[in-house]
Amino acid sequence: MIATLSRTTPVVVQGISGRMGRVHTANMRAYGTNIVAGTATRTDLTDIDGIPVFPDCAAAVAATGAIASIAMVPPAEIRAAVFEALDANIRLIVTIAEGVPVHDALAIGRAVRTAGATWIGPSTPGLAVPGEMKLGFLPDAALRPGPIAIMSKSGTLSYEIGWRLAQSGLGQSLWIGVGGDPVKGLRFADLLAPFQSHPATQAIILVGEVGGDEEEQFAAALTQFGPTKPVFAVIAGSEAKEGVAMGHAGALTFGATGTVTTKRAALEAAGVKVFATMAGLVSEVARARL
Amino acid sequence: MLLVEADGKTLFRGVGIAVPPGAESPGPWMVKAQVPVGGRGKAGGVVRCADAGAVAAAVAEQLGMRIKGHRVESCLVEQAATGAERYLALMLDPAAYAVRVLFAAEGGVDIEQAGTIAFRLCPPEPDAITAAIADLVAAEPDTWRQSLIDTGRRLAHLMLDAELILAEINPLFVSAQGCIAGDAKIVIDLNAIDRQPAIAALLRARPQTYADAVRKLDEGFDYVELDPNGEVGLVTTGAGLSMMLVDEMTARGMKPLNFLDIRTGQLRGSPARLIRVLEWIAAAPRVKVVLVNIFAGITDLGEFARLLADAIQATPALRVPIVARLVGRGAAEARRILADRMPAMEVEEDLDTALAHVAGYTK
Repeated sequence: MIATLSRTTPVVVQGISGRMGRVHTANMRAYGTNIVAGTATRTDLTDIDGIPVFPDCAAAVAATGAIASIAMVPPAEIRAAVFEALDANIRLIVTIAEGVPVHDALAIGRAVRTAGATWIGPSTPGLAVPGEMKLGFLPDAALRPGPIAIMSKSGTLSYEIGWRLAQSGLGQSLWIGVGGDPVKGLRFADLLAPFQSHPATQAIILVGEVGGDEEEQFAAALTQFGPTKPVFAVIAGSEAKEGVAMGHAGALTFGATGTVTTKRAALEAAGVKVFATMAGLVSEVARARL
Repeated sequence: MLLVEADGKTLFRGVGIAVPPGAESPGPWMVKAQVPVGGRGKAGGVVRCADAGAVAAAVAEQLGMRIKGHRVESCLVEQAATGAERYLALMLDPAAYAVRVLFAAEGGVDIEQAGTIAFRLCPPEPDAITAAIADLVAAEPDTWRQSLIDTGRRLAHLMLDAELILAEINPLFVSAQGCIAGDAKIVIDLNAIDRQPAIAALLRARPQTYADAVRKLDEGFDYVELDPNGEVGLVTTGAGLSMMLVDEMTARGMKPLNFLDIRTGQLRGSPARLIRVLEWIAAAPRVKVVLVNIFAGITDLGEFARLLADAIQATPALRVPIVARLVGRGAAEARRILADRMPAMEVEEDLDTALAHVAGYTK
């Protein structure tokens, strides 16, 4: 699903009438995203800026053929929003709310898996196919079409890296924010195969952080995969305070698990170049002459 | 986030999992530093005491100690439990969207490295978890096998009802008298706190131990004190970029006071959140400089600059230089505003240049 996204992919915005819904819908549209419908619980709305508004996803899909959705609803309503989208046979769901309870994410993940759909979230800046479309709010200043696919747990850290790359003339082929939650939709390892087979992608940047074992699982998948496109990585949180979630619920270390040391070792053993600084990563990628 | 052991044991008692009796019971006793980190034993935070004098000495020794950045504010004193040691844990398995049930026929601090822990994956349902536990303990003697299953069933209900991420008992003491939880390692989900008033009450009862979490509940954003003697106060947004900045500064010999994800998108035209942060930074004894680092994707930096200037003017206690690194939407407007209202502030676009200024103030 990810690799086929383009400016023609029809998208429904769930919760289009709220403050965030309106702002991000306008920004996504300006970037090129084909937003064909919105949903809102308010019954007095028939359209917002010319986008037809429906009471729920099923009605929006029936009228417009939307196959992707982005949910702009508060964290406590994300679970219901995703279930609604799945019931309407939406194939790709992006959720951006910060603070979705982890057990809700677990229930969502099970339902998405059963439905055979794709979920990016619960909390992520979204994804972009630079030059084509974006779902979410990756900043335009950091987006630039090019050969590098980015996968990131962090929004801001990936913005900084994408922006620095763009400053040095390097753009992105695909950019997926998987988010910093402990339980989530797409994970780093899930993105390996789509990134490897993506024709426009020549190299991969992984922006990781402490907590969990996604980086380790990605390293294991990479080892299994065989010869690959070059992979570069940074991992934030070597100075993270143990036992405390550092902003992201998933960025939590206790004992020896989930530390930068273990992640770095696993990635390096799989052939990934891991950098201690953003400047180091960007200059090395620039030197790779993609 | 991790709860201290005493609070984990409060949750255990609430679901009927036995824990050792307290200091009023006969010895020997264990004196255990209540900090939310692993490896307390190796740091001198867990001591076995044969008599009351030793207990008093151990408590005096532990209080005020720092273990992995956490100051010991309280100690748990309880009777030393006896019996054979087991390991029992339930954790969320993010890749499988399941509950991972783990059991080992031995316990202790090195069990996780020993690689002898068996596990099963279950849907997040009490009956399925209980059945998995019954399967894992099938080889245990009749004397306590049923008690193990019962403890596991209670732990499953706690895990699901309290929306835990990890519930681990290591060691779990087993004997003819049944099971006793020797330790409690509980990771809660702060995102679910609105639905978990009992856990919110535990956090609020220890405002010093859980200072970072309580601050988040009260303020709605993340500020984590990293080093009370830190020299650089950070005003930053975004968890990943803020963490990376702390890492890079530390590697260059700078001493950050704090981690901060202020969430510029939630300021809503008010400097209140910035004022709170600047007050905390101003109250820290060794701060020599403040670094503001904002990469604005959606946020308008012009508005942010106005709020920052308002906040600085409203915080006279802050008397150190400020270096700002602003990039993204509205950066040019932000520079104009700050040049006008805060002429002494050094405003940069390049982060490494800004860090060089900061290093100049901390040398």
